[in-house]
Amino acid sequence: MNNEELQTFLDSHGADPARWPGSQRAAVENLVASRAEARALFEQARRFDALLTGTTTHAADDDDAATARVLARLTALPPQKKPLWQWPSVLLDWQFAPAWPRMAALACCAAVGFVVGIAGVDRTLERYETSQMMMAQTDIGAIFEPEALTGARP
Amino acid sequence: MDDTDEALMARVARGDQPAFRVLARRHVPAMVGLARRILGNTADAEDVAQEAMLRVWTHAPRWQPVAAFRTWLTRVVVNLCLDRKRRAPWVDLEAAGEIVDRTPGAIEQMEADERERLLQNAIGKLPDRQRAAIVLTYKEGMTNAQVADILDTSVSAVETLLIRGKQNLRRALGGFIDEEG
Repeated sequence: MNNEELQTFLDSHGADPARWPGSQRAAVENLVASRAEARALFEQARRFDALLTGTTTHAADDDDAATARVLARLTALPPQKKPLWQWPSVLLDWQFAPAWPRMAALACCAAVGFVVGIAGVDRTLERYETSQMMMAQTDIGAIFEPEALTGARP
Repeated sequence: MDDTDEALMARVARGDQPAFRVLARRHVPAMVGLARRILGNTADAEDVAQEAMLRVWTHAPRWQPVAAFRTWLTRVVVNLCLDRKRRAPWVDLEAAGEIVDRTPGAIEQMEADERERLLQNAIGKLPDRQRAAIVLTYKEGMTNAQVADILDTSVSAVETLLIRGKQNLRRALGGFIDEEG
């Protein structure tokens, strides 16, 4: 393993031997122990990793405040999404409450329609319309009906 | 009572709000920290953590315990971060530092803050997936295999992301890394 390969190895696996693949660990440890250049690369990688893993107290304080705000906002929860095999219960659990005035109006219309149909109110009106129409047809017939061909002159 | 994440999720799936609050208190702090490190600002991190927890609640009845809850939640947060339109990170007043204090401890603290600011700027300029891989590996302490699972990719792809990410960071930070020794 040359220096470039060692650098690639340290970049992809870090400088902590505990995280190195077991198949390569012994070879890389021997390389670092035996070559000064390899040891320098390893030390540089170790410092870089320490820099990357470092944390600051400012950020931790910000996170605490942000966490408190998020938890406070999670009080009002939306309805859950049910899996497909629970659809029957979803239908039974349908929330009609927000639409109750419209549902009541629809039910009233249906009830009125049922009563009108049973009582025959619409049939009375239909009979009246039919008789009016027949009378009108009789009058029109009297006006336009031709005279009988009897041969008699007036 | 069994209060493992998976047991709590089973209760959340039945609409148990107290169980959900236990889960939220347990995981929101870590998720806010993770999102802030990937996104670079606390306001967006807050939104992402909130959205992730709301997904936990709404999708709980459909959740299948094929992976650990923590892994699944981390994947949700990382994906939300990567999906989020990238915005310029802002620095709030506390992080911007205070009036210069010349006492030895204060100077060391200022230097540490400055190092942290430079590093965060460099990490913030990385491409999204390189940044996510660096944060998950070095801030969350995950193995390459775990990172691959979270990012839904192969271990070799994660290794490539780490190699390129660290090369970019080295270029951005210059001799700053050697000064750390």
